[in-house]
Amino acid sequence: MLLNELTQALSRLNLAQVAPGDYAKTGCHLEVEAAPAQMPEVARLMLEKGCFLESLTAVDFPEHFTLVYHFNHFRELCRTVVHARVPKEAEAPTISHIYPAANWYEREVYDLFGLKFAGHPDLRRILLPFEADFHPLRKKFAPSETPADA
Amino acid sequence: MLERGLEEKFYVLNLGPQHPSTHGVLRVELQMEGEFIVKADPDIGYGHRGHEHMAENRSYLQFLPNLGRVDYLHALAYNQCYCMAVEKLLELKVPERAEFIRVITCELNRIASHLLWIGAYLLDLGAFTPFLYCFDDRENILDLLDRVTGSRLTYCYYRFGGVPRDVDDDFLAGCKAFARRLRSRYRDYENLVNKNVIFLERTKGIGIISQEQCVKYGLTGPMVRGSGIPYDLRKCEPYSAYPLFDFDIPVGSTGDIYDRYMVRYREMEQSLRIIEQAVDKIPAGPIMAEKVPKRIKPAPGEVYTAVEAARGEFGIYLVSQGDTTPYRLKLRVPSFGNLSILPEIAVDTLVADLVAILGSIDVVVPEIDR
Amino acid sequence: MEKKTGEPLIHLGVLEEALNLARANSLWPMTFGLACCAIEMMAAGAARFDLDRFGAGVFRPSPRQCDLMIVAGTISKKMGPAVVRLYEQMPAPKWVIAMGNCAISGGPFFYPEMYAIVPGADLLIPVDVYVPGCPPRPEGLIEGILLLEEKITGRGRLRKFRNAAE
Ligand code: SF4
Repeated sequence: MLLNELTQALSRLNLAQVAPGDYAKTGCHLEVEAAPAQMPEVARLMLEKGCFLESLTAVDFPEHFTLVYHFNHFRELCRTVVHARVPKEAEAPTISHIYPAANWYEREVYDLFGLKFAGHPDLRRILLPFEADFHPLRKKFAPSETPADA
Repeated sequence: MLERGLEEKFYVLNLGPQHPSTHGVLRVELQMEGEFIVKADPDIGYGHRGHEHMAENRSYLQFLPNLGRVDYLHALAYNQCYCMAVEKLLELKVPERAEFIRVITCELNRIASHLLWIGAYLLDLGAFTPFLYCFDDRENILDLLDRVTGSRLTYCYYRFGGVPRDVDDDFLAGCKAFARRLRSRYRDYENLVNKNVIFLERTKGIGIISQEQCVKYGLTGPMVRGSGIPYDLRKCEPYSAYPLFDFDIPVGSTGDIYDRYMVRYREMEQSLRIIEQAVDKIPAGPIMAEKVPKRIKPAPGEVYTAVEAARGEFGIYLVSQGDTTPYRLKLRVPSFGNLSILPEIAVDTLVADLVAILGSIDVVVPEIDR
Repeated sequence: MEKKTGEPLIHLGVLEEALNLARANSLWPMTFGLACCAIEMMAAGAARFDLDRFGAGVFRPSPRQCDLMIVAGTISKKMGPAVVRLYEQMPAPKWVIAMGNCAISGGPFFYPEMYAIVPGADLLIPVDVYVPGCPPRPEGLIEGILLLEEKITGRGRLRKFRNAAE
């Protein structure tokens, strides 16, 4: 079973937490906590097992950002969610050289949260105009920061 | 592989943001060598409306109408996903009749979306007539959905715990009549399109996507099924009432444009099968869950739900902190991942083929940009 | 009425009136979909609603061949400059229909913290006819086009019906 395989392989990586998830409640089969620096390693392992990157996003908590990666598999349903806490003003390593899909997702996170990814080949804004000077999904983003009229 | 010359041999061609074949406002910057594309760089965001920011500033219920406007072509699947996410947080159980109604309306909407895609896509390839045929059929679906949902396009029909309005027998009979009608039109489509030499020439063997690329780019929907991976969440991660019905997942073999076209074309038949079974088996009973709280205030937690929309997997990642508004709501939209493969498969193709490839991805730009 | 840019300096009286009649009955809209409303615009041009009945079904992909811009959908801040440029590329005389609440006032996306959209096409370009709805039904768009005919010639088809009703 993929779930067991993944659990075993991931627990070898020294991660903060590898636990089965409550699928009925959270929609995920496996819940993982990792340090941002470990993400390339995790991603490489997931790719080896044939998983694809379902989504990558961030949540802005008062003290830190949490990067949330969802992986899934085409043949066997096994959704793995990886949380990685990034302190404010810190950078996270990119996984776009492993999963090209992450390229755009990371640009999106940078665009909306201002969270930088070290080693990303092309970290530009993606959704907002290039000349924008704010990151709208930060919690302290206030309307006064918006440019008055286009 | 092409012979690549010096830098000066390339020139830049700008496609969009206003271009009839980009389906909305997408801009692709192309580096060309003669007729061939050396590099393609899609520039998105021209339809960015800030749905995710809006979710954090609205109550759960107030955000519901937005879902119909993220991907307006398959709005009901998006309704479904959001309702499922909140229902999971609230631990609501949707009554069976409501699930059946959701399946019927969602599948009708899927057919409408595919029909529109076929029409608009063939318009890109230069065929105008199928466009009129497809819209004609699509109008019939819109009439049916108009009856129950009250709108033609940006539906907001599902509620947390069920659906607000019941369907009547006329609607169910109308669904069956529509199934008969669409089946009788297949011959026209086959003659007009599927056997058309120009169409075959322009789609076969072009824009091939391998299974490995599917994994690396996180593609979903007809994009992966065209490449032969039977990944359809209605079967892989059954939700709603889908496990009760018997249907197949059409897959392609080579992963070219033609396969993706055929996947969507055959999917319409499978949707018809689901609709017919659901209409036959629809149980009587309530359409709303009991004890839906007046004020929606889920306990802290996070949830990821996904449904199979017409363009692929649509997922919602919802973080609640026990407030009346979501703390964070991420829309995982299928076209975003699907489009990100364009720079890779566009290389060394002609501009005319790029238009064919871009169309076959079936992008809805405001959905990508959110 | 405010003078629109591109209005001719010399007016040719009767000839102008005849020309206006011709213009009103063969409006060439631009294929210019921005969001959801664009689908209803397509539906208006397709089989059931058939804008060709009013001579307005010739959707042109290039702004240089059109005289009617139907702003169908939300204008994001990123798209705003492009809308202005497209409008400027159209040859005069030209008209604009703002289709849908988004193009009229920002619609459902306008709220105090909003950062992404331009609330209303009329902040960017002059608008002749507003068609409300989210999205407006194709019938709504057709009525908008008939109203525009009325505005151009001073005697549209709708007026006849309205007078008859009164
Ligand atoms: S008015 Fe409504 S339907 Fe039209 S573009 Fe805006 S949100 Fe979409």
